[in-house]
Amino acid sequence: MAAFLERPRTVEEALTCKAVRPDARFLAGGASLIAMRNAGLVVPDGYIALEGIEELHGIMQSPDGGLRIGAMTRHRLCAASASLTGSLELVRQAARQIANPPVRNMGTIGGSLANADPGADYPAALSAADAEVEIAAAEGRRRLGLADFFLDWYETALGEDELLTAILLPAPQAGPSAYRKLARVSGDYATASCAVVLDQDGGLRAAIGGCGPAPLRSTEAETAIRGRLHDAAAIADLGRALVDLADPIDDVRGSAAYRRLLIPRLLASTLAHLLRQEQAA
Amino acid sequence: MTQQDETLAVGKSLPKLENLEKVAGRAAYIADLVRPGMLHGAILGSPLPHARIKGYRLEAALAAPGVVAIVTGEDVGAGLMGAFIKDEPAIARGKVRYLGEPLAAVAAESEAEARAACRLIEVELEELPAVLTPEEGLAAGAPLLHEQLGDYIKIFDSGSEGNLCSRSLFEEGAVEEAWANCDLVLEEVYTTQAQAHVAIEPCGALAEVDQNGRVTLWSANQSVFRVQANVSESLSLPMSRLRCLTPHVGGGFGIKMEPHIQPITVALAMKAGRPVKLILSREEDFEITRARHPFRIRMKTGATEDGLLLARECEVLVDCGAYADDSPGVLGYSLLMARGPYRIANVKCHGKLVYTNKLRFGAYRGFGNPQVTFAGEQQIDEIARQLDLDPFELRRRNLPADGEPWFLGAEVASNGLAQCLDAVARVEPLAPAPLPGRRRGRGLAVNAHISGLLGTGAIVRMLEDGSIVLNTGATDIGQGSDTVLAQICAEALAVPLDMVRVASPDTDGSPFNWGTTASRVTYTTGRAVLGAAREVERQIKEQAGHILECAPDDLALLPGGRVGIRGTDREIPFAAVSGRAHWAAGGPIIGSHSLVFEQPTLDPKRAAALGLPFPRIGVFSFIACLVDVEVEEASGQVRVLEAWSAVDVGRAINPRLVEVQLEGAFVQGLGMALVEEMVWDGPRLANPTLMDYKIPTALDAPLDLHSIIIEAPEPDGPFGAKGAGEIGINPVAAAIANAVRDAMGFRLRDLPLSGERVLDAILAEEAGDAA
Amino acid sequence: MSGPVAFTLDLDGRSQAALAPADATLLTLLRDGLGNTGPKRGCNQGVCGACTVMIDGWPQRACLTLAASCEGKSVRTLEGYGKDPLMQSLQKHFAEGGAVQCGFCTTGMLISARRLLADDPDPSGDAVRAALSGNLCRCVGYRKIVEAVQDAAREAGK
Repeated sequence: MAAFLERPRTVEEALTCKAVRPDARFLAGGASLIAMRNAGLVVPDGYIALEGIEELHGIMQSPDGGLRIGAMTRHRLCAASASLTGSLELVRQAARQIANPPVRNMGTIGGSLANADPGADYPAALSAADAEVEIAAAEGRRRLGLADFFLDWYETALGEDELLTAILLPAPQAGPSAYRKLARVSGDYATASCAVVLDQDGGLRAAIGGCGPAPLRSTEAETAIRGRLHDAAAIADLGRALVDLADPIDDVRGSAAYRRLLIPRLLASTLAHLLRQEQAA
Repeated sequence: MTQQDETLAVGKSLPKLENLEKVAGRAAYIADLVRPGMLHGAILGSPLPHARIKGYRLEAALAAPGVVAIVTGEDVGAGLMGAFIKDEPAIARGKVRYLGEPLAAVAAESEAEARAACRLIEVELEELPAVLTPEEGLAAGAPLLHEQLGDYIKIFDSGSEGNLCSRSLFEEGAVEEAWANCDLVLEEVYTTQAQAHVAIEPCGALAEVDQNGRVTLWSANQSVFRVQANVSESLSLPMSRLRCLTPHVGGGFGIKMEPHIQPITVALAMKAGRPVKLILSREEDFEITRARHPFRIRMKTGATEDGLLLARECEVLVDCGAYADDSPGVLGYSLLMARGPYRIANVKCHGKLVYTNKLRFGAYRGFGNPQVTFAGEQQIDEIARQLDLDPFELRRRNLPADGEPWFLGAEVASNGLAQCLDAVARVEPLAPAPLPGRRRGRGLAVNAHISGLLGTGAIVRMLEDGSIVLNTGATDIGQGSDTVLAQICAEALAVPLDMVRVASPDTDGSPFNWGTTASRVTYTTGRAVLGAAREVERQIKEQAGHILECAPDDLALLPGGRVGIRGTDREIPFAAVSGRAHWAAGGPIIGSHSLVFEQPTLDPKRAAALGLPFPRIGVFSFIACLVDVEVEEASGQVRVLEAWSAVDVGRAINPRLVEVQLEGAFVQGLGMALVEEMVWDGPRLANPTLMDYKIPTALDAPLDLHSIIIEAPEPDGPFGAKGAGEIGINPVAAAIANAVRDAMGFRLRDLPLSGERVLDAILAEEAGDAA
Repeated sequence: MSGPVAFTLDLDGRSQAALAPADATLLTLLRDGLGNTGPKRGCNQGVCGACTVMIDGWPQRACLTLAASCEGKSVRTLEGYGKDPLMQSLQKHFAEGGAVQCGFCTTGMLISARRLLADDPDPSGDAVRAALSGNLCRCVGYRKIVEAVQDAAREAGK
């Protein structure tokens, strides 16, 4: 059976295509989907290429000062975006650590999130950045926090008839923020990763990637550490809280046990790095 | 030094002959070749690691679109192939012995159709219990991989029984008595992992059969003659019916030396009656070709308090995989090298090679030497620490004197190891880590490697216009042997490099060459080229003597392709000489030379050897490798900051190509040391993709890789040269492990030194300190 | 739109009509359909980089790109660089400087390096390493490749 390639021009057209051809796959940058196709892991009937949909491209400032990153925005653009600074710097850092330059020229932020690979770089960074996603369906659009978006291993809240259209970020604050990935070699998926944003009131937001189906966040533990960022015991408490949330697996990148060990250690070293940076500023 | 100043081609970093083709993207590799009417092949791999084949159902696949022919074990006769033990069929026959082993192959109009048809083939398999480790294989009552092992033809026969593929035992002096005289004895167990070659070009072949049933076979290979031998044996074809050729080859490192899918491709082409090209996917390349042997090594070394090494014992247990391939050679070679480049009077090295239901392990750059060196050089480093001796000083105290033979008695005619050590000893001290949470360390390891082995030949022909064609049959896999051999030829005939063309290997027209393996082409084939060129020189002078009316002895070759009477201005170009030879007298000028390496490995008066796979082996190169690392305490990750490899290559025919060998080998060694590991989930390879099996990228390799060339000339090497291809990888994992010890205070004995292993050791150390 | 798709792309500076199944990759189209064997299939997973080509000015993986999605785009392989001075300088320094061994990664390396030199006429060693980190080489050990790119940049900057 011959495959097909649809090239809609609007989100609505794309959704219509999908309604007509439910077994087709939305094609973003192709960096993951075509790789899986080439490996025989997926055999789509056809593809609905999103590239021609103007609305899905680019990084725009919202009236409230927040940022809207179109789902088809290439990693390369995020990695170079001057808008992603301060509390959003970690998103830029995550983008810069995805795979390698040719793949960053292809891959998109929406594609990455929809693929929901636990070792991917965006999920933890966007989680710590308090990002939301915008999802379009025939009946309209909805917004979802990342905690509600990632459901399970490689599984998101995106319905079969839905399309991820944008990533919404709150207005950048002073930060600083950082994303740290631990991987076997440059460009590999994360064995574990850590994203930390410092706020102006002595608090932080921290997320761990690669240690469960979704990024790990503990708002409760974040509240507890407020004002005690230099307190080793408090940092250890936060690390423990995140380890408690972890559900890592053994794979070729490292054992579950190693990943559990890494969580507090990456957290502490990333935080130390940020505090040094803050002090220097 | 004056000798170098006078050379025309040797000792010069000339660009490789084929580079312009490669940078233009025009160089043709196996996957780029097309023949008229060509079909595409694909294979069906076994879903089980060990099973009896009960039958095939091919109807659905044969009826699939585009399918022309299917080959199974029923099509290939009873032939078996193998460099040491003939135990391997062209395609699984009667039994399947590892997961992924080809059970059937399809030729179809397109690759997609061939792959689709493979999925329609049904093979009835009766599962047998599998052997997944050497220990399991040796256990009483273990399932047998090769019930017919006793009946196989064995070129090398040493203890093959049950699942024991071979064993070797080499001994010199009296080890058991020597321990009592040692002040310090260390005994440890080390393990090394399976490493994949990851030549960026996957394996492939293209076969075509003519109306007389004669086969022409192109393939990614390291020896057209080994391809010919393996296809001939496994398909029971006379060698004269097989012509084997080579396009450009996209890297080897050992994976393309012995057969991959050439026999299957030939069988498909014979059955289809049309040319067939079969290119493996990356996953198949991981699953069904070969890999570096995992070793379990028990190493024991004893020294006096003055740091004199008195005794060493090395016992290894080696995973062979499903077929013998080069494994008996790897076992024996690793044991021959396990003493290290030291004077140690009492040495015993022994080990076993055991069949398992995994892909065949085989030749991989270093050939067992990196594994035993990982153990041996860590132990030397530890002895230096425990005796409070400088690691350079301990090694210097134990260097053999000039003329001392190798372990078992092979002659060592040149040894530049002392200069190698001196060269890396001059490196400035390492500065401490600038960032908190990081620690730095430096490690040293030394090593020797042998280049040589077996037969090789060269034919040098002068064309009518006086230019030269060199034909050796040696496959250039990108390392630059065509260029190096042309440099040797150009130097010998005093012609510019562009007057020498190198013929592509062709079993019809090239002299025999065992292969591009064992770091051997420069040394062995270079000798043959020199011999052939000298014969051409003799004929040139004989011809020129007639033209210039003088005695041949009065003549000298002059730079630029001329010959003239010494001390006069009477000279003629080669074209005049060749013209006379072609059209008037004597016949076209052709020089040939062939040789087989003949020096014995074993001196029976000195040592005893059981199961010595290479009775005549080769000449010795030496290396000292120094590495600086930084360890991140948070993650345990090790990063190599800078490295120095000082290598005695006898004579660098092309220094830049030697440097590239050392740098490339270092980064492969870095991968082996830190990240690379083939992981099995039961019988299934869990990471047969480049997504999951990682090799170093440009960001993981240090830019500060220093290659230091030391030249202790080999008396019978071409212009003094000996091998450089493998030695660079041998000490790397040991040097990195020694550097980690220097940084962290603990020693790791299992490869790779992953972040996880290092962090576990950090935590164990902390727990120990706390206790 | 089902079955083979007819489309036109700008290939190496020429308008190229193509007919390919909708799910065929650009790599398959280039190599098997158009006989352009410069881009290599090393892994078909986008990891090795041997198939890297320039698409609308950016190095991308031909093996991960659907051919039909290149309709109206500019695709450049080494064939398309003709007398481009930067590419010629890169090719020269790769060939002369020891950056080429087996050569299987070379065409992809050159494409990635060419983009780097467009962005950064005098790249640091680390900048070159980062730019080439998506092109695996198993032979050279990278150092001489990095140096060749820097030498080419220096020469072009004169």
